Amino acid sequence: MTAASLASLVPLPVAIPLAGAAVAPLAARLYRPALTVVSVLALLASAAVLVVIAPTVYGGHVLVEYLGKWGPVNGQVLGVTFGVDAWGLTFALVAASIGAVLLIFMVSDQATLGRREAGASACLFLLLDAALIGGALTADLFNLFVWFEVAALASYALTAFFLERPPALEAAFKVLVLTNVASFLIFIATALLYTRHGALNLGQLHDALVGHTDSADLIALGLLIAGFATKAGLVPFHGWLPDAHTVAPGPISALFSGLMVNFGIATIGRIVFSLYPGTGAQVLGLLMVLGLVSAVGGAIFALLQDDLKRLLAYDTISQMGVLAIGLATASPTGLAGTAYHLVNHALFKSLLFLCAGAIVHATGATNLSNMHGLARRMPWLVGAFTVGAAAIAGIPPLNGYVSLGLIHQALERGHQTVPYVLTLLAQAITVAALGKAVLAFFRRQRNPYARDERLRPGMRAALLLIAGACLTLGVAPEWVLNNLIEPASAALSDAPAYTHAVLSGGGQVDPHRISYHYLNPLELALLPATVVLAAPLIWLARRYRDSQAIRRVRSVQTGSVNDYASYLVVGLLVTVASTALVPLVR
Amino acid sequence: MIVVNYIAAMILFALGLYTVLTRRNILKIVMGMSLMEASGYLFLLSLAYRNGSTAPVLVTPPHGQSPARLADGNVADPVLQNFCLTAIVIGVAVTGVFLAVVVRIAQHYRTLDADRIRDMRG
Amino acid sequence: MSQPEPFEREPRHRLVRGLVLSGGVAAALIAAVLSLPRGNNPLPGIARRAMTVALPDWHTTEPVSEVVYGTRGFDTFGETFLLLAAVVGVGLITRAREPRRGFIGEQLAGRREQRRTDPAQVQGSTDQRQAEQAEAGESGRGRRPASPDNEPLGAPGLENAEAMTVVVRAAVRTVAPLLTMAGLYLVAWGYTPGGGFPGGAVALGVVMLTYVSLGYRRVEPWLRPGVIEPIELGGALAIVLIGALGLALSGSFSANFLPLAPAATIRSGGVMQAFSVVELVEVATGLVLAVFGLLGMGHDWEPRDSGTARTGRRAGGRSAGRGEHGERP
Repeated sequence: MTAASLASLVPLPVAIPLAGAAVAPLAARLYRPALTVVSVLALLASAAVLVVIAPTVYGGHVLVEYLGKWGPVNGQVLGVTFGVDAWGLTFALVAASIGAVLLIFMVSDQATLGRREAGASACLFLLLDAALIGGALTADLFNLFVWFEVAALASYALTAFFLERPPALEAAFKVLVLTNVASFLIFIATALLYTRHGALNLGQLHDALVGHTDSADLIALGLLIAGFATKAGLVPFHGWLPDAHTVAPGPISALFSGLMVNFGIATIGRIVFSLYPGTGAQVLGLLMVLGLVSAVGGAIFALLQDDLKRLLAYDTISQMGVLAIGLATASPTGLAGTAYHLVNHALFKSLLFLCAGAIVHATGATNLSNMHGLARRMPWLVGAFTVGAAAIAGIPPLNGYVSLGLIHQALERGHQTVPYVLTLLAQAITVAALGKAVLAFFRRQRNPYARDERLRPGMRAALLLIAGACLTLGVAPEWVLNNLIEPASAALSDAPAYTHAVLSGGGQVDPHRISYHYLNPLELALLPATVVLAAPLIWLARRYRDSQAIRRVRSVQTGSVNDYASYLVVGLLVTVASTALVPLVR
Repeated sequence: MIVVNYIAAMILFALGLYTVLTRRNILKIVMGMSLMEASGYLFLLSLAYRNGSTAPVLVTPPHGQSPARLADGNVADPVLQNFCLTAIVIGVAVTGVFLAVVVRIAQHYRTLDADRIRDMRG
Repeated sequence: MSQPEPFEREPRHRLVRGLVLSGGVAAALIAAVLSLPRGNNPLPGIARRAMTVALPDWHTTEPVSEVVYGTRGFDTFGETFLLLAAVVGVGLITRAREPRRGFIGEQLAGRREQRRTDPAQVQGSTDQRQAEQAEAGESGRGRRPASPDNEPLGAPGLENAEAMTVVVRAAVRTVAPLLTMAGLYLVAWGYTPGGGFPGGAVALGVVMLTYVSLGYRRVEPWLRPGVIEPIELGGALAIVLIGALGLALSGSFSANFLPLAPAATIRSGGVMQAFSVVELVEVATGLVLAVFGLLGMGHDWEPRDSGTARTGRRAGGRSAGRGEHGERP
């Protein structure tokens, strides 16, 4: 097929899951198995279309589709543009394929629930996933905002799915308030940029910003970063994230953590590198600071948790910090590391949340201290959890080792010593937090569980698929790097090529080569070092878990929605100050 | 003088934000969010305005002008008005979900005080 | 807690912090808007283009509708699903208890958490029972007076009557058909930006007026979720179909594939008009579902073991309809 006819297929990966969302509740009502078929097929079909266009896009092509054929006239685009480059496609592929696996798990997990509630949650799941795919593929600022909102609205009710849990409603309220404030910020930024430059197409905006960037544009950049950082859950925008992940059903937490939160980071990358020209040191510095604070802070809070899903949620914040650090290096290696870690995080965090959700679903226990002895009762589940934990810890045959290695390498080559050390520290604390969870499963059981059911086949299949993917991406890093990650990082960093492509109906991005040594001696030496550092941390966290100091640290997370909104606004002011004020002072 | 509208919109936005940051009653927080939403409408419609412009409608052109020529005349920006429509729909949708959650919270917690609705902290 | 306690005053440090932070945001935003053009700038190129293509390419005299449903129709496409997400979400949050099979860990966790949050509710406090009785009383058929018509003048109004007085009923009977026509006119010929959106809002208004004045019985036969929900979902599917037909027949998703009738007629605008009509269906059914979902929200989610008693029924469309359509254990 020619590039033009391939490009015309580009809206389908969004439209098919949306059609699936419309059919799913009806299918659930008519015949239960039809729900599984319809919803999973919708995402698989979406993934299949993406796979069809993948060879062209990873070959360096940018596929561009002007919806309704409202293409550029004198370099100005009125209609909505879809621009598929390797960066967006990587995220969309991950969203569609992992989404399908999560959906298999969810439908199987909810087999005992009522038909209506199962149908409605599958519908919202599909809407959310379709919105993420749409947001990754679009090259139009306002359209991006629309998909952001669709994802947000679908996430609210999914958070509150188990209405019998009061904290679920509390979490839904916090998500509503913070996500809404974020959406207002993005909306105002879009209006500012449109009024100043008369453009919505990302390429057209980029060209306008190259000509002239003044303080209003930089304030808009600050608003955009703050808005998407809220979606990404970076500290201090993170207030909603731990609560939402704690109480949502397992597969929904996996969807939030593996895909929705990643969407925030992927979009920040798009805005900072493809939209704004010549990203200044202040923006990269801001991303680095946000990233480091999130990485270390999230890891510390994760270590202090007793609730398993909450622990994983704080670890998500930490991993988002690592991704932001990768973006902040702005080097090809760092961006490749970010792209790789984005895929990996979607995999291993989904795996961990699925396991945690299955444990809660089967036993009713939410706290680690009530999960002792699980290793014997549910060996499959604990095995899968351990694989995920080892992947995050960066243990070699698994995927986390490669992506963390790339990010470390970028920091090392950029001579950013302090960030490097802090990243390693965050890594050690992360290992401790997850190690604590895994160890708890192997402790001797004290009190019996209310019930422990066997895993249904769909759930087991989903766990196996994701664990297998973790291993595959870890053992074939060369192939993945050359064929998927290098094009993605090249597409992100080559703003002129992307701009040219979305304004002229398609274009080419030249790939850049990244040197990566799998058996880097420094990286291999750091592994035992982090584990050695993690062991005493686990002990300390257990020993002093009720101490005054730890309680004081944890009281930062007050639980009050007013406070979380205040943290967000503080973050917003810092962001706007560093994007708009710092250049003035210089 | 349209700049007055811009500033008014931003002050309304800040007032809504102040409500969200300080009020403990979650219903008041919802009202603050609605105020922020409404400031968005005001901002967009003010941005769409041009001095002395008419509505972007081609049906009854002022005398001496054909509909086709009106397109080149002095009209408000239709693209921003489209955004405002979108914003209104989003506002309705969000408010509906907000109120449903608030009612459920009231049923389970027996309070609307945000400081008491914090089972999850730390 | 039988009476909600009055809130203590807001702590002072929170007020100060809120003032400083929102002041900072206001300052940043005002700094941004001050550098914006002040109504003397020419229209941006793309807005100009939206104005110029309206008549020749769409045969419509309404550029805003043309942007909404035509040239930037894909935004509206996304917006439809935003609305669908909200409606399904409200439905999910306001849903009545459904029968479940087997052991569900989250229910156990929920019971534990509810005990921590509000211990009284688990045992069923007096407060709880009062609320349930009130709800049961409202939905009790036959025991309620039909309307306040036979009450002596000057007597306090009947709050639990099924319908309003004959004056209101007569007025609504006159107005409702006119409003319905006006709503349809807005979509069909009305030169309003947005077509289906305001039309749908008017449709909701008609339903609400009928419900409030004539009583639930009048709207009950056709206000069943079993009827409205499939229409809503079918509308969403139709919108995807319109976009896909554009791809199949005109080579681009959401492109126009219908012949363009002359301007200012019912079919001018081609696919725009079809989109607008489906949007009317979406908005009307969606808003009705959401509003009646909120109205019919029951009180039956407290984790009690005797889960089959569904006391929380109100005269709302949702729970009444669900009761008849839902599965029984």
